[in-house]
This record gives sequence, structure tokens and C-alpha cells, in this order.
Amino acid sequence: MTPGVAAAAFAVGVVLVVAMFLVFAAYNDVVALERRADKAWANIDVVLKQRWDELPNLVAAVRGVMRFEEDVLANVTRLRAAYAPEAAVRDQAATSQATTSAVRQLLAVVERYPALRSAANVLEMQHEIERLENLIADRRELYNDQVYRLNARIGQVPAVWLAGVFGWQPRPSFTTAAEPTVREPTKVALG
Amino acid sequence: MELVIAPQLVGAALAAIVGGLFLLGRGFVGYRAAERIAGIGTSTISGLAVGEVRVSGVVEAAELTLVSPLQSEHCVYYRSTIHDSGRDDATTFEDERAIGFRVRDASGTVRVFPRGAAFDVPVRFSESTGLFGDQPAGLRLRAGAATAVGEPTREAQIAALLTVNAAVAGTDDGDAGRGWSLASSIGTPRPVGLKRYREARIEPGDEVTIVGQVLPFDQLDDPDGADDASSPNAAFGPHGDAEIAADVAAAAAAGLLAPDPETAWGNAAIPGFGIGKPVTAPHLDPEARRPELAAPDAAATARRTFDIGPLDLVLAASPGEPMTIALGRPGAAAARRDSEFLVGLLGGATAIGAAVVLAVMIQGGA
Repeated sequence: MTPGVAAAAFAVGVVLVVAMFLVFAAYNDVVALERRADKAWANIDVVLKQRWDELPNLVAAVRGVMRFEEDVLANVTRLRAAYAPEAAVRDQAATSQATTSAVRQLLAVVERYPALRSAANVLEMQHEIERLENLIADRRELYNDQVYRLNARIGQVPAVWLAGVFGWQPRPSFTTAAEPTVREPTKVALG
Repeated sequence: MELVIAPQLVGAALAAIVGGLFLLGRGFVGYRAAERIAGIGTSTISGLAVGEVRVSGVVEAAELTLVSPLQSEHCVYYRSTIHDSGRDDATTFEDERAIGFRVRDASGTVRVFPRGAAFDVPVRFSESTGLFGDQPAGLRLRAGAATAVGEPTREAQIAALLTVNAAVAGTDDGDAGRGWSLASSIGTPRPVGLKRYREARIEPGDEVTIVGQVLPFDQLDDPDGADDASSPNAAFGPHGDAEIAADVAAAAAAGLLAPDPETAWGNAAIPGFGIGKPVTAPHLDPEARRPELAAPDAAATARRTFDIGPLDLVLAASPGEPMTIALGRPGAAAARRDSEFLVGLLGGATAIGAAVVLAVMIQGGA
């Protein structure tokens, strides 16, 4: 082998090593991102299930005093029944968002009943529900961030070339169709 | 006409090839490290779940802080080296150490156990002695203990502010009889050769990004040792000394160790007892003066500082999942490692160029 051929082989070898590294790294990164998105979703699911378990206790605790607010209680109960862990992410997001709104409405109504506000068990449940709602919000943010990273990675070179081979698909974020991704700026009239 | 290849040129080309390939390999490592930080979203501390997470926030001291060897700054991590380019031309001092700390974000705090962590912390102090051996500005060799109380009381902070520290001469004979200190062990810079001082630190108040495992405190393999990450002594466990580790192991084997802190230390295990404001009433001789119990705020601080519940979530390394602690926000930490990859690609290109030049030289000389 002449020195020229050896140098050319060396150059091709280095370029190949770099290319192979980028391909392997892209594959490993996408697999890791998919696992993280799965885990982030599982962490949301755990809290949704906890909220599903807690809601009947809250409704039962306030039902006796709030008999004139039957529609509020019925709304919470109906949305709790709509919880379906096997449903599509977007459907679960819509149900979760509606449940959160109904729970907030219920807790706002509870504020009008001094007897309930001061009841230790109601207070305790109220704090627990609020804790779960905050947890859902935090974990939803993390899940959406993780999905964004995964979808962005799949769309980049060289992962975009591998996506067809390995069947990588962009994933939906945990948002409802009704939630606009870009909000209209608030119009303020001056003068 | 016969061409003669200069051996220096061949040597330079070979060095460029080896150096370029080394940079390329380092770039690959940097790429993976950057991806580990950039590929995971930041969790809020209040929403942490068990498993691998990335958190980003401000460092707060826990029970203790370290005192850095070269600048005597309170910190939770340091990496210090002194390189002497004089007669020996060697690194005469090298130490890397970390201690447990907390990270705070807008939603709460989490305790970090740094044993087994990989640190990505840029050098904060890098100075050399002057031509005549004069010490660089900012060098303040540690003269006392290597650790300090994490949250000193207001009185202690005022006392520290009002204390005038004598300059650390650190001569070989000047510290005789005053016990060991870093200053005495290193000595003053000699006029021959330069000493280069370099120190990287993470201090309370710094922003850090951590990728690690969240797990309940009671699932840590070694809750005591996980708090201390001291590179030279890591093999000896939390005690940091082979002899002490052997003594402790022998005592454990003989059944001489107490089962819990209360049995071992009695009143001293009560948070706040050592500073005269215990959070619970100690067992004292009836004749003894009863200490005043800590106020609720102080008791909460003491408990938060010293007590970690068995189910409290903490951040630590695990055998299969090393922990990365990087100074700065996630973007800055990932960018530092990304630049290593770019340098690595340049190194690869340099290696190819050097190989081509070498081939031309050999063919031309043949």
C-alpha cells in the first residue's frame, strides 16, 4: 500500500467513524427520549389516578351541606366518570382540563359555606386536591417539554433519515384542542 | 535531486495525528455528556417523581460547607491544583471534594448527595506566582478546618465579619507546633519556577444543573457516605481514612456500634442541642440548668437542616446511572460540552490533514 492510499484510507476511516458515531448517537438519543416521554406520561397518569380516587371523598364530604349546589357536584362526578386511562392523550388532556375546572368551581363554591370551610376533613381534602392539581400541572409541563424534545430530535438530521426505518412518530402533547398554542395579545385601549 | 525528510516534520505530523484523534475522542465524550443534559426536561422540585430527572436551581448549604484550599471560600464542591514549574515541574497539590447540599427552585428544595457524581465546573481562580515569587492576588490558602457550619447563626456571621485574619505566611518553619494546615504543608512560593494555582468551585448561591436519580432517602445504599464525595479517599468510605475505616469496620463486626444516633450520642443527637437551643427537651441532671427550647422558626430550621425523613425524595447517583452536576443553567452547561464536540471535529480534520502531509512527505522522499 502506497503512503497516498494509506492516507486516503485513514481519512475515509475517520469520516466513517464520525458518521457512525452520529448515527448511533441519534438512535440512542431518540430511544432515550421515547423512554423519558413514556415515564413522564406514567408520572402524570399516577396523579390523575390519585385525583380520581380522592374526588368521591370530597364530594361525599360536602354533599350534605351543599344540597343546593347539586349541578356543581354532578359535574365533578360526571367528569370523574369520564376518566379513561386507555384513551388518547388529547382526549385525556381534555377530560383532565375539564375536571380541573369543575374542581376549581367546586372549591370556589365551598368558600361560600362557613361550616365547610372550617371542617377539618374538608380542609384536608381540599389541600390534597390542590396538591394533586399542582402536581398535574408540573408534570404536564415536564411531559410536554419531553415530547417537544423528542419531536424536535426526530425532525433533525440524521434522526429524520432513521425515523422511517425505525418507525419513530411525533407524539401529541398533553394539551386540549381548545387550548390555543399562541395566545392573542390582550388589546388595551389607551386614551 | 534526492529529497530528505526532516525527522522533526515527521514527528510533528505524527503528533498532530495522535493529538487530533485524542481531541476527536474527547469530543465524542463531550457530545454524549451534552446530550445527557440537553435531552431531558427540567423538573420542578415540588413535582419530582422517582427516577432520572434534571433539576436546575440555586445551591443552598446543608449541614456543612467545605472551605476551599486556595481561596478559603465556603463552597459545596472544589477542585484545586497547584502546579510547580520549578525544579520538579509537577503537580504538587491536587484535591477534589464535594459535600451534600440543597438545590432550590421556585417550587421548593431537594437534598443532593454528591457521592459518585461527575462535576462539570469551570475554573474560577487561575493565577500564577510573579517573577520574583510573589503570591498572586486572591490567593488565600486555607489555614483552618476544611469544613464549616452550613448556616452560621447571625452572631457567628457578625463575629466572622469583625475578625481580622492574619495573612497566611505558611512558611515551613513558621507553622511549627500549630498543627497541620494547607498553608504549612505547601509552604511559600519559592523564587525558582512558577507556581500555577487553579481552583474550580460551586458555592452557595450559584446556579447548578443536575441530572441524577430521585429516590426516597431510605433507599440510598449508604446514606452517611453518600454525603461526602472526596476523590482521594473515596475508596475508604465516608470516614475518608483507611485506618479509621478499618477501625469502624472492626467495631461494627464486634457489635460495638450503637444502633441509632440517640443511643450513640444521647442529647447530642437532638437538633440544636449543640448550640444551646434544642428542639426537644434533653435528658439532664435535675440540678443542671435547663436550656431554653428553640422557637418554632429556629426548630423548623434545625429540623430541616439535620433531619431527612425516610420517604423524603433526594437526588443521588445510582450504580447504573451516574449523576452529573454542572455549574450554570442547563443551556450553558450543555453548550460547554457541545463546544468540545466541535473542537473534536476540528481535531479529526487536523488528523486527516496531518496524515495527508505525512503521505506527501514520504512519497516525495521515496
